[in-house]
Amino acid sequence: MKAFLAAFGLAIVLAGAAGAQAYHRFWANCNYDAPTFMTTMTRDAAQDYANAARYEGYQWGGGCWNYDDADSYPYDAPGDPSTHGEGGDCSGLAFKTWRESTDDWRDGRYYWRALRNVHGPYTAGDFKNGFGAPNHVVAKSSAGVMDGFASSTHIGLIFFRSLYGGDQIVEAKCEACGTNIFYRTYRSDPSYGGVARWGWTG
Amino acid sequence: MRRPGIRSLAGGAAGIVAGVIGGIALTSISVASGPTPAVPGLDAAHAPPLLTRPGEPVTLRYAIVCAPRDDGLPCEGSGSVYVRAGQTGLFRQLRLRRGAESREGRYYVELPRELASSRDGFSYYAVLRDGTTGAAMTVPAGGEAAPQRSFPLGDATEVDLGVHAFSADRAPVERVVAAPWGSDPGEAGLAGSRELGFGGPSSFDVTPEGTVAVLDQVNGRVELWSHGGVKPTNVEVSGGLADFALEPGGAMDVLEPPSRTSPAPVLRSFRRDGAPRWAQRLSDRTWAKLAVGPAGPIVQQQPSEQWLPLAGRGAALSRAAQAAGGRPGRPFTNGREVLVERVGAGELRLAELVGNAVLRSWRITSVTSLGEVQLAEPYGDRLVVVMKTYTDDRSDYAVLVLDRAGVEAEFAVEPLEWAESAPLARFRLAGSSLYRLGSARTGLFVDRFDLEVSR
Repeated sequence: MKAFLAAFGLAIVLAGAAGAQAYHRFWANCNYDAPTFMTTMTRDAAQDYANAARYEGYQWGGGCWNYDDADSYPYDAPGDPSTHGEGGDCSGLAFKTWRESTDDWRDGRYYWRALRNVHGPYTAGDFKNGFGAPNHVVAKSSAGVMDGFASSTHIGLIFFRSLYGGDQIVEAKCEACGTNIFYRTYRSDPSYGGVARWGWTG
Repeated sequence: MRRPGIRSLAGGAAGIVAGVIGGIALTSISVASGPTPAVPGLDAAHAPPLLTRPGEPVTLRYAIVCAPRDDGLPCEGSGSVYVRAGQTGLFRQLRLRRGAESREGRYYVELPRELASSRDGFSYYAVLRDGTTGAAMTVPAGGEAAPQRSFPLGDATEVDLGVHAFSADRAPVERVVAAPWGSDPGEAGLAGSRELGFGGPSSFDVTPEGTVAVLDQVNGRVELWSHGGVKPTNVEVSGGLADFALEPGGAMDVLEPPSRTSPAPVLRSFRRDGAPRWAQRLSDRTWAKLAVGPAGPIVQQQPSEQWLPLAGRGAALSRAAQAAGGRPGRPFTNGREVLVERVGAGELRLAELVGNAVLRSWRITSVTSLGEVQLAEPYGDRLVVVMKTYTDDRSDYAVLVLDRAGVEAEFAVEPLEWAESAPLARFRLAGSSLYRLGSARTGLFVDRFDLEVSR
């Protein structure tokens, strides 16, 4: 009986670990492909892109996700990109949605597929200050669909305005929050500024 | 070392087999019980024109949101709006046009003048389609049974707030709750970090007698504060920034946000002692505010942009039943419904409805930008409104007591919001008192303001 119990315990731990690895296999599909240079970039295509990242999780410093509607690794250690968890963080989601270049002096449009692991060079604070050739600040009262609101620690993109004066915001806010659309009042919050991407074509 | 016997070897082998099977089964269960795919592949957004001015042209605009295309272009959507003059009768189909711009929604229809200026307003719903997959969705979700309802603002009372004077805030008359950060009784839980920001108790409510209930979701409890002290009641919640409401019988409702493992928002109802009553997924993907209506909890949801009931006769309603009960305004026990529409940068339209008729309405304009409306509730024969007014680097809450003649009382409240809360959960009205949930580096507090103090 002792041998059974010892072997059972060891096997269940090893099998569980193998299962976790299987669950984590999404990372094997992440890639470093070159982005596609685009001449167009519309706000509704950006809505499509950010909306599809919903449910795919949050990874601080990350930028790879698939489209299976689940966070493949929901309990990875926060703040450590080497855990290879699924999802972007707030600034990574904004960077990819806004089709930006990894060179902050380029303002062209670069389409990164979901599985392309890239975070981009900007922090939320950089976006707030309008740093980088493609970015600029806007008056909060005039910010529209797929413009954003950024603080020194967070950026969210405006999915649509709402009746009560707040906004539906698509954002990757924290490991426990995942990526999703939330109703937020960043527009009237003094710690947030209005930010936008140059070069929308429709 | 003793040589293993045949029984030991057999036992070990059986253990390995059982363990491997058990491990795989556990992993499978953990994967299978994880988030179920919830993206329908099609989503939408629409801001309904709830209250229209005489002669105002009406364009209904929709964002149709599909799975991203590999060529990076927006989806090929289409759809129709079914609209009628007034609030009853047959709907007429109008096809949506595809515009060149998507800043306010690419798909639109301009309402014919006879509909836009109908004396009884108009009502409508849209059926939207993804041309690639053929998927379709109805907005609002209740469709023909609970369409969007738009009403003429009519002879609205005009209020011009002009330029807001910051730094002229009213002080509260009383601090009714003061809780340092922590997890002991009488303390308030704080989550987060300096790098990512902090979240404190995300919502609260107040009984007619003045007992304050604070949702301390970080510590998994509700704390009831009264002059007799503080009484914690444990509740099983996720810890996300949730909204909260107390029902008249003492039941507690917690409106949870989506999370990493639960991609859809859920309303959890608890008995007075914290025992779970029921939990129900919302009809829509996003919520703005929880309140208690005449028949139970109600939630303002998107993309429907309606108040939907979550329960009837004490039991949770299915998602379809929620959608079928959608209304444009928040219903109150006095039989009236309050409609709220923020327009542009500095305009707020308000109306009280009885049935589908406008009883009275207000149009408030401001040179300083207006933000979110935290509260709009009947107060005797008046209406109390609390809304944010802001510039790019400052903000205040503007509190207005409105009557038919205009502004009866008005004051400003300084936003003290060191920790984040639910979006529209900062104020509650009880009797003649307005309560404000605030926070500072040292802890959480609830302040009371008296609405009867003259200007």
